[in-house]
Amino acid sequence: MGKILACEQASAVDAESETGAPTEQELIWFCQQGDRACFRLLYQRYQQRVRSTLYQLCGSASLDDLVQEVFLKAWKGLPQLKTAKYFSTWLYRISWNVATDQRRKLARGQEKTSLNEKYWEKEQLSLGKLVNAQDTPDLMHLHYQDIVHRGLNNLSFDHRAVLVLHDLEDLPQKQVAEILNVPVGTVKSRLFHARNSLKKFLEQQGISL
Amino acid sequence: MTNLNNDHQNNLVSFLRHNKPIPPNPHPNLEQQLFDSLEPRKNSRKRYFKASWIIPHGTNPIRGQVPKWMQVLRAYSRISLPVKLISTGFLFTFVSFGLKTPQIALEPKDLENFLVRNWQNTLDNNHYTATEETEAYWLLPVISEPQPTLSISAQ
Repeated sequence: MGKILACEQASAVDAESETGAPTEQELIWFCQQGDRACFRLLYQRYQQRVRSTLYQLCGSASLDDLVQEVFLKAWKGLPQLKTAKYFSTWLYRISWNVATDQRRKLARGQEKTSLNEKYWEKEQLSLGKLVNAQDTPDLMHLHYQDIVHRGLNNLSFDHRAVLVLHDLEDLPQKQVAEILNVPVGTVKSRLFHARNSLKKFLEQQGISL
Repeated sequence: MTNLNNDHQNNLVSFLRHNKPIPPNPHPNLEQQLFDSLEPRKNSRKRYFKASWIIPHGTNPIRGQVPKWMQVLRAYSRISLPVKLISTGFLFTFVSFGLKTPQIALEPKDLENFLVRNWQNTLDNNHYTATEETEAYWLLPVISEPQPTLSISAQ
C-alpha cells in the first residue's frame, strides 16, 4: 500500500508541469482531502468533455442537470478512488452510468420523449429549409452537425456510446472497454457495426464519404 | 480492399470529428449551483487531523521526501475501519493470550511446584496445608510408621 502511494507520489512529481500549475494527481489528492477549490479546477478541466459526451449520448434535454449529477457523484466518490491516474476513465464511467440512468428514465416516460422528438423534427425541418435557402459555409457546417447528431441518435445506445467515446472523444479502445466494462473485442465489433450504420445513414442523407 | 476500407473509415472519422455536434452552452450559474450543493465530507476533519499529525509541517505531502515509517503510518490510516477493527482485535487477543498463558516450567523442581500449586485446590485442604513448602512430599510413596506390635507374652 505504501509502495503504491510512493509510486503515485513519484509519478506526480515527474508529471509536474513546468509552469508550476498543480498536476492532475495533486489536484485529485487534495480533492480527496475535501478541498473544494481543487475540485473546481478539476471541474473546469473536465466539464467540457463530460458535457460533450453526455450531449452526444442523451441530447440537450436536461443536459445541465446531468453534468451536475456527474460531478456531484464524482465529489462523493473521490475518497474511494484508489489510483489517481484512472480519474479520467472513472469520470467517463460515471458519465456513462448517468447517461444510462437518464435513458431508462426517458424510456419510462415514452410520451414525453415522443413529444420532444416531434419538437426536434420540426426544428430540424426548419433548419433544413434554412440551409437550402442560404448555402453559406457556416450553415452547411451546422447542417452537417445536425445530420451527425441525428445519425448518432439513429444508432443503438451501445453502438452510439462506443462511437462517441472512440471516434468523437478520441479515447483508445482499451479505455473505452474499461469505461463500458466490456472486452476490447466487443468494443471493436460494436465500433465496426456503428460506423457501418452511420455511414449508411449519411449516404441516405446524400453524404458519400 | 482493406486499404480502401481503412480510407473510408478514416474519412468517416474525420468527417465526424469535423462536424461533431457541439453542446449548448451551460447555464451561467451552473458551476456555482454545483459547488453550493456539494455535500461537506463527513470525515474531512478527521482526515485533516490525520494529515496534520502524520505529515510534517512545511512539507508538501506529495513532493516532499517522506520517511518510510511515515509512509507505513499513512498507509495504515487509509485502511478501512472494519479491517482496522479486526486487526486490532487480533492484536489484543494475541497479547492477552500470551500474558495469561502460564509459563512453561523448564526445571523439574519448578514443574513439581507448579503441579503442587495447581492440584492443591482439588484435594482436601486440611490434608495438605503442611505441604506448601517447595518440597513435594505427597509425591513420595507413603511409608507407614512402624506401629508397636501387640505381643502377648506368656509370662
